[in-house]
Amino acid sequence: MSASKETDVSVAADSEVGIGTAEIPLLEAIGRSGRVWGDLAAQYGVTNPDPPWKVSLDATCDALSAEACALPLLERRAEEDELSASCYRNVPFPERQLLALAHSMLTRDLFNEEELARRMREVRERLTGA
Amino acid sequence: MSDTHKAAPMVDEVSDFEILEMAVRELAIEKGLFSAEDHRRWIEYVHTLGPLPAARLAAKAWLDPDFKKLAVADGVKASLAVGIDWINGPPTKFGTPSDYCSFRVLEDTPKVKHVVVCTLCSCYPRTILGQSPEWYRTPNYRRRLVRWPRQVLAEFGLQLAADVEIRVVDSNQKTRYMVLPLRPIGTEGWSEQQLTEIVTRDCLIGVAMPQPGVTSNAKRPVHPAVHPIHTGH
Amino acid sequence: MSKNQHDRAHHAKKASGVGDPQCFRGEAGQAKFKNGDKVRIRDLPDIFYTRCQVYTRGAVGRITKVVYESPAAEDEAWDNTDHPEWFYSVVFRQHELWPDYPASYKNDTLETEFSERWLEQA
Repeated sequence: MSASKETDVSVAADSEVGIGTAEIPLLEAIGRSGRVWGDLAAQYGVTNPDPPWKVSLDATCDALSAEACALPLLERRAEEDELSASCYRNVPFPERQLLALAHSMLTRDLFNEEELARRMREVRERLTGA
Repeated sequence: MSDTHKAAPMVDEVSDFEILEMAVRELAIEKGLFSAEDHRRWIEYVHTLGPLPAARLAAKAWLDPDFKKLAVADGVKASLAVGIDWINGPPTKFGTPSDYCSFRVLEDTPKVKHVVVCTLCSCYPRTILGQSPEWYRTPNYRRRLVRWPRQVLAEFGLQLAADVEIRVVDSNQKTRYMVLPLRPIGTEGWSEQQLTEIVTRDCLIGVAMPQPGVTSNAKRPVHPAVHPIHTGH
Repeated sequence: MSKNQHDRAHHAKKASGVGDPQCFRGEAGQAKFKNGDKVRIRDLPDIFYTRCQVYTRGAVGRITKVVYESPAAEDEAWDNTDHPEWFYSVVFRQHELWPDYPASYKNDTLETEFSERWLEQA
C-alpha cells in the first residue's frame, strides 16, 4: 500500500467539491469585526454554550437540504470544512458555520451580496430601532 | 433577591452574526427555498434533540438484559422505549437527509472498546444523540481517528490496555451508531435516572467512559487539521 | 432541478412512515455474501461520486452483519433508485488497512459498511 493512500483518508468526499475559497467582502468583514458568542456570553455572564440563533441556523440548514434541495447536506458540510480551514479559520464555531452557509448560498447565487447587505440593514433597523 | 438585579443574565446586544442568521433565513424564505412553516417545523424538531434519550437507552440496557439484547439486535425498535421514533419523529416522516433509519448499538465488553467517526462528513445519530459536537465535525478527528485511534483517544484522556481491541466504526453509509459503554463499578444498586446521568455524550460516541460522579463532557480543545495525516509515523 | 424535485417527492412518498433504507426491503434479490465471509474491497474507479473510502480499497475483511438493502450511494447521488443492493458491515484488522500500524496493538479493528458492488470473495 502506497504512502499516497494515507493522504486519501477522506478523499472520496473532498475531491469533487472545491467550492473555491475566494473571499466575500461582506462575510469577511462580519467574521473580522462581528462579536462572537463566546465574548458576549462572558461579558454578560451568560452560561448557555450556544448562541440563541444556533437552533434556527440548524433548522435553516435542514430545511435547505430537505425541502427543495437547494443546498444538499453533504455539499454544505464539505464546503463548511473547506471554508473553516481557509476564509474563516480565525472565526470560532458556530459563527463560522453561519458564515460558511451564507458563503455557500452566495456562491450558488441563491441570493447576491447586495441583497444580503440590504436585508441585514433592514433587520438591524427592526431589532435596534436604529 | 433584590429588585435591582435581573432574574437571569441576558445578552443585551445584537451581534452581526445574529443579524446575518436572520437575513439568510428571511432571504431563503423569500426566494422560495423553503417556507416559514417548513422552518418552524424544523426548528421544533431541532429543539427536541439532545443526548438524553441515548443515555437512557444505555442505562436501561445496563439494568435489563432482555432490553440490552433488543438494543443490540434492533436499535430502531429499542429506541421507542426511550421516546425516539426514528421513522416518524423527524418532519420528513422517514428520517432526515442526515439521519437514516438504520441504527446500531455497539456493545463494549472488557476486551472491546468501540469508538465512532464519520470520515466522509460528520454523520451522527442526532435523532437520539442531538447535534454533533464541534470536534466530531473537524477533519482533524475524522481523518486521524481511523489511522491513529490510540493517539486520538489518549488526547481525550482515554488510555486503554494493549490487549483491549479498539474497534473504530466509520459511519459512512446509512447506519448510525451509538456506543453502549461498560457499566462502571461503584454504580451497584443505582436507579435508571442515576445511571442515565453518568452516560455523557462523549461516552456514547466512545471517546470517554462513564464514571460515578462525572455527569458532563470534558472541555475539548479543537485543533486545526494541519497536515494531520503526515504526523505520527 | 425539476427531475430532482420530482424524484424526491416520489422517494418521500415511498419512504414516508416506512423509513429509509427500510423502504427498499425486498428489492435487492438474493444476498451474495453472508456473515463470516471473507471479502476483499474492490478497487473500482471513482466516477463522480462514491462513499467507499479509499483507505479500504484492496483490503481483506470479514462480514459481521448483512445490514439492509438500499441503492448504492454512487447511484442514489444521482437519484437512481432502480437497483438496490445488499449492504454489509465489514470488520478489518487495522494492520490490514495500515501496514505500519503498531504490532503491539494487533487486536485493533475497524468496521464500516459497503454496498455489494464493492465486495469480492477473498
